[in-house]
Parts: sequence; C-alpha cells; structure tokens
Amino acid sequence: MTVVNIQGEVKDQLWRSVEVGEESGSLESAIVSLSTLKEHFDASDQSSLSRVGVRLTVEDDVNEIVEYAPHLGLIELVFSQFKDGRPFSTAVTIRRDYGFAGDLRASGDILPDQALFLVRCGFSTIAVPPQFSVEQFKASLAAYSVAYQAATDSHVSLVSDLRRSAVEVAAE
Amino acid sequence: MYVYDSIDKSLLNQRVAEFRDQVRRRLDGELTEDQFKPLRLMNGLYLQLHAYMLRVAIPYGALSSDQMRKLAYIAETYDRGYGHFTTRQNIQYNWIELSTAPDLLYDLSEIDLHAIQTSGNCIRNVTADPYAGAAADERDDPRVWSEIIRQWSTFHPEFSFLPRKFKIAVTGADADRAAIKFHDIGLKIVHDDAGELGFEVYVGGGQGRTPIVAPLINSFLPAKDLLRYLDAVLRVYNRHGRRDNIYKARVKILVQSLGVEAFKSQVDAEFGLLDPVLLAVDDEEVSRIREMFALPFLRADEIAGVRLEETFAESPDLRLWSESNTHAHKTPGYTIVTLSLKPIGGIPGDATAEQMYAIADLADRFSLGEVRVTYTQNLVLPHVRQADLFVLWSELDRLGLATPNVGLATDIIACPGLDYCSLANARSIPISQRISERFADLESQHDIGPLDIRISGCINACGHHHAGHIGILGVDKKGEERYQLTLGGQGNAESAVGKIVGPGFDEDGIVDAVETIVSTYLTIRTAGELFSQTLERTGHAPFKERLYDRG
Repeated sequence: MTVVNIQGEVKDQLWRSVEVGEESGSLESAIVSLSTLKEHFDASDQSSLSRVGVRLTVEDDVNEIVEYAPHLGLIELVFSQFKDGRPFSTAVTIRRDYGFAGDLRASGDILPDQALFLVRCGFSTIAVPPQFSVEQFKASLAAYSVAYQAATDSHVSLVSDLRRSAVEVAAE
Repeated sequence: MYVYDSIDKSLLNQRVAEFRDQVRRRLDGELTEDQFKPLRLMNGLYLQLHAYMLRVAIPYGALSSDQMRKLAYIAETYDRGYGHFTTRQNIQYNWIELSTAPDLLYDLSEIDLHAIQTSGNCIRNVTADPYAGAAADERDDPRVWSEIIRQWSTFHPEFSFLPRKFKIAVTGADADRAAIKFHDIGLKIVHDDAGELGFEVYVGGGQGRTPIVAPLINSFLPAKDLLRYLDAVLRVYNRHGRRDNIYKARVKILVQSLGVEAFKSQVDAEFGLLDPVLLAVDDEEVSRIREMFALPFLRADEIAGVRLEETFAESPDLRLWSESNTHAHKTPGYTIVTLSLKPIGGIPGDATAEQMYAIADLADRFSLGEVRVTYTQNLVLPHVRQADLFVLWSELDRLGLATPNVGLATDIIACPGLDYCSLANARSIPISQRISERFADLESQHDIGPLDIRISGCINACGHHHAGHIGILGVDKKGEERYQLTLGGQGNAESAVGKIVGPGFDEDGIVDAVETIVSTYLTIRTAGELFSQTLERTGHAPFKERLYDRG
C-alpha cells in the first residue's frame, strides 16, 4: 500500500497493518484493531503506545480511545465507502478534543477529489487506494489555494484573515 | 448586491478547472459513473429522463440584472431557449450535454454564478426571504447572514459527505416568506430584550415522505455564535445521522428519534467544545458584506401612494394586478413587485431567454438592477417606485409576466414531475396547467382570495404539496398515475402539514376535485373568511362529503 503525506509525497512505510487474530509476536509499529489495542495495551503505558497504531472503522465508538489517544503513534480511520463522511468528523474530534498529535491516517474507499478535505480535517497521511495514482492525489491536494472556513489544518486560514492580508498586501 | 472579490473568484475559478478535469476523466473512462456521480452532483449536474439537468445556484434567491442576462444567455446557448425557476429559488436547465457543461460553468463563473452544492449530500445553496432588504416588516437583511453561511458552507471539508442533503433557510421578518420551518435548519432573525441581534434556530423540518415542522431548539442564538452553532448541529448530524436507509437519513429523523431535548443537549455539548474565537462571526466581515447590500439613498415619497390611487381609478386592471402582485416596501413611495411566472395554462416557473433578457432590462430601469426568485417560483423586482408602476405593468403585460394571480388559485407550485424527472411517479405540469385553466377567470380568482395549490409528482415533495392549502401528490398505482389530495397545509409562519382527505383520483378526477373543494368553500364561508380559515373552522368534513358522497 502506498501512503502519501499532505503534499501528496510518498512516505516510507514505517507501519504494518495487523489484522485481528494475527497478533503473534511484537506489536511494535503495528496498526491494530480497537479490540486488540484494548486487549494488549494499557492506556497509561505511554512509551509502548507511541510505537503502536489503532485502526478504527466507522462502526467503532471513537470515545473508547479517549484515554489512549494522546499517547498513540498513529490512528487510522477507515472509510467504508467514500460517500460515508463520518471519518471527517471523527478526525476533527480526535485532533481537537482528544489532543492527538501523531499521524492521523485515512484509508479505505477514498476518492482523490476528497484529499484536500481530509487534510483540512486534520489527516496527516492518506493510504492511496490501488485503483488511483499518487499523481491524482497530488493534483487534487493542489487544486485549491484558498478556503472559506477555519478548519483543523494550519495551511489555510479563515477567509476574513485572508481578506485582511490581501488588503495589507495591496496597501504596501 | 454581494460582489466577488479576488478570494471568491480564485475559489470559483479553481472549481471550474477542477470540474473540467473531472468531466474529462469521466469521458476518458478514468472515472466510473458511480465514482463520477457524487462529483457531478456536487456541481448540480443530474442525469434525468432525457438528458443531463443542470441546477444553477441563485444564492438566497438574489440576482443582479447582469446575472439574469447570463442566465438568459445560458438558456439560449446550452439549452432550448428557456429555464425553470425552482422551489429552491434556483434555476434548472433541462437539456444539457455533459461535454459542454464545463464551458457552461465557465460562462457562469464570469458573472460570479455557479452550480456548487445545488445537489449531493452536502449543505445546499442557502435560501432566504425574496423581499430581503426591501420589505417593510423586516428586522434585518437576511442576505447578510445568508452570504456568511454561503461562505462557511462552501466546500466545507467536514460536511460535504453528510448522510443526506442539508438545507438552511433564513428570514428577517415574522411573516415567513422562506418557509424556514420546512428546512433542516431554519433561522429567524430576532432581537433579545437588550436589543442584541440573534437568531431563533429551528432544526429538523422537512417535507418528503416524512413531513415535519421543525421544532425550535434555540430561542436566542447571538449572531456572533452563528457559525459555531451551525458547526455543532452539523457535527452531531454527520456523526449520528442514519446512513443505512436513504429515507431515514435527514436530520429530522435524528431529531425525532433522539427527542428534541436530547438532540439539543448533544448540540449544546458540541457547541461547548468548539473554539468561540476561531468560529466567531467576524464583525469586520459582517460590515464588509452589509455594505455591499446597502441600498443607495431612496427618497421617501409620501404622496406617490395617493397618486397611484388616482391612476387605479382610471385603470381597474392595474388595481387588480397591484392588489395581488405588489407588497409594502420599507420606503414610502416604493413597492415590491412580483412577476408572475404562472400565466394561465403555462408551466409554473418557466421563463424564456427573451423574457429573462427583458426582465434584466426592466430591473435596470425600475429596480436598481436587482431581481429575486421566490420559492413559489415567481420573480420579484424589489425596489420599484410607485410612480413607475403603471409603465412597468404595461411592459410586463406585453411580456406575459403580469398575470394578476400572485397568492391566488392559479399561482400553483409544481415540480417538473414525470415530464422531466427520473424520480417522479406522475406528471405534475399538465395537472397544474389544467387546474390553472379551470380557474382562469380573474374576477372569480380574486373573489376566492388567497389559495395555495401545490403539486408534487412523487413523495420527495419538491412541489411542497404538504404545505399547500390544497396539496396534490402524484403516485403510481399499478402502473397508473393517481393523485392524492391533502388539505390544510401552510407554508407561511403558521407552518402546517396538510392531511389526506380520502381516496385518490385520476387525472380528470383531481382537477374536478379541486374545483369541488373551492366551490364548497365558496358556499360555506362566512363573510371575509379566507379558505384556510374556513378549513380550520369546519375541518375536512364538508369538503369530504361533497367530494365522495355523490350517490
């Protein structure tokens, strides 16, 4: 699987996905299910958690990771279908309310045309679905230079701020 | 009028480029129809019975004369010479080619128009009182707040893949001309006791197969917190709205299943978590927008009304038209004029390119270059001098736009129905045409008084039949078109859902049935009693008796 960052550049694979029932051996650098996380890790074990990732489906209750979130190395939100936009809101909650600063990854059924929305909701990496190319994601991420609303990302600011700076530039 | 600056223009130009690329990928086969569908829908492009249909957004129903000219040009160039104004204050073109749609959107963008979010499961084009900035009974201009909502909701990164579509409507007056309680969110501008500006917030109204009048969930939301609160409502909906059943996916179902209080407390909890500063409505931005909507100084003319009375004496036709098609303006000497798109026997909401060009010219001559679209599918010139009324009326009459029937029996709302729409079960337009012809006599229409007839060709209720005094719903019964009749709906501030009277009718029967209802009303009304009042007094019984006891 190819993973891109918010610029659409391919990232080295530091993480491997471990499915339920395949948890033999070390879980270091593994992305595990919510149930595996709860079974194998203690929310207070900060050093172990920083080397583990959790994978949440749209059916999982995101509240169950509240205690873990500040210490986790990675959280992956899986899109069951591109039309189901729940992970966008889940991402905002995780970034804003749970104090998660690690790698927030989107995976599953995603269209390149959704890439910028993902980044603006706080995702830091995207797993590129096999039917699409990295270039498509890269192009989509660069399609817009401005946005109207404040969001979780930092690279686009509120439009009123944009307007103010435009006025300042014009005045100079 | 709001005028795009470089930021608005950049965003729109980038959208046009993006859509051109999406269409190219679809035509090259890079995208499947299933993948392309949500992308084209977010650009208002539907695949209908005979062709693609493009729905162009008219933000809060307000157009400049130049924008109206461009809509005429689009009708001529890309369609068959006409457009259809809809119950969402938008315009639809019914005969569009996919391959030229990107050029069409480019042409629209030159005049700050687009089709962004006119379909798809996102926050749709916001609607508002068509008399905004003109009506005598207005507290504050709803366009200012609608424009802020337009910006906030455009390409919202979090709320573009909702469980279902999401509609927001704003009114600045108590007389609700935007049917706000039939929207996912309805906002009414109010002042609190201290005189501070804010909103009553209604959430979870709608029509379709589960018609619901939205409950009030916040009786005073300070204006500064508008976007923060909308954000909270949308996040609760996006996370918890149903996605397993398209018919139960609107926010109204979530509100009903949780209960109003539980829904409200979830919204309040989410609201509490949101950054009050980051999401605060910026005062400077409000002022910037407000200035663009400000009218030039209008000199009050206290005696224009008196002179108009004298003109009426010489021209009873003008008086008749003025009674139904004008509304009080906030400046004495001015009036709000509604152009009826409901000629007797015509297609409700249709306008030809020639009419649109002519309306644009009339707007320049008589209405400070402004035109509005109403959800009842008529057009409005909002700032007309009473002194100009006679000349304007004569011009409109020549164009076939002066039918004196606004708010009367032949001012029928109808969806496109089975003549165009791939969702429809039955035809709407021919039924509305026949009813219109049945009630063609103007004097008797004015005698009948305010009467709101609305027709939908399927349960999705685009013709707002639930909210009509007389509502007609087309259904498919074993391959035949049948029509159900409801009575007692209200689309104004009184908002009410009509109730089914009894067994349905065929195409001829429904036209007769409407006439029977009206003649029953004329027989049993007391002096000065309106149709809706008679119905409220008597209930369905006398109407039902006449409709079904023919033995």
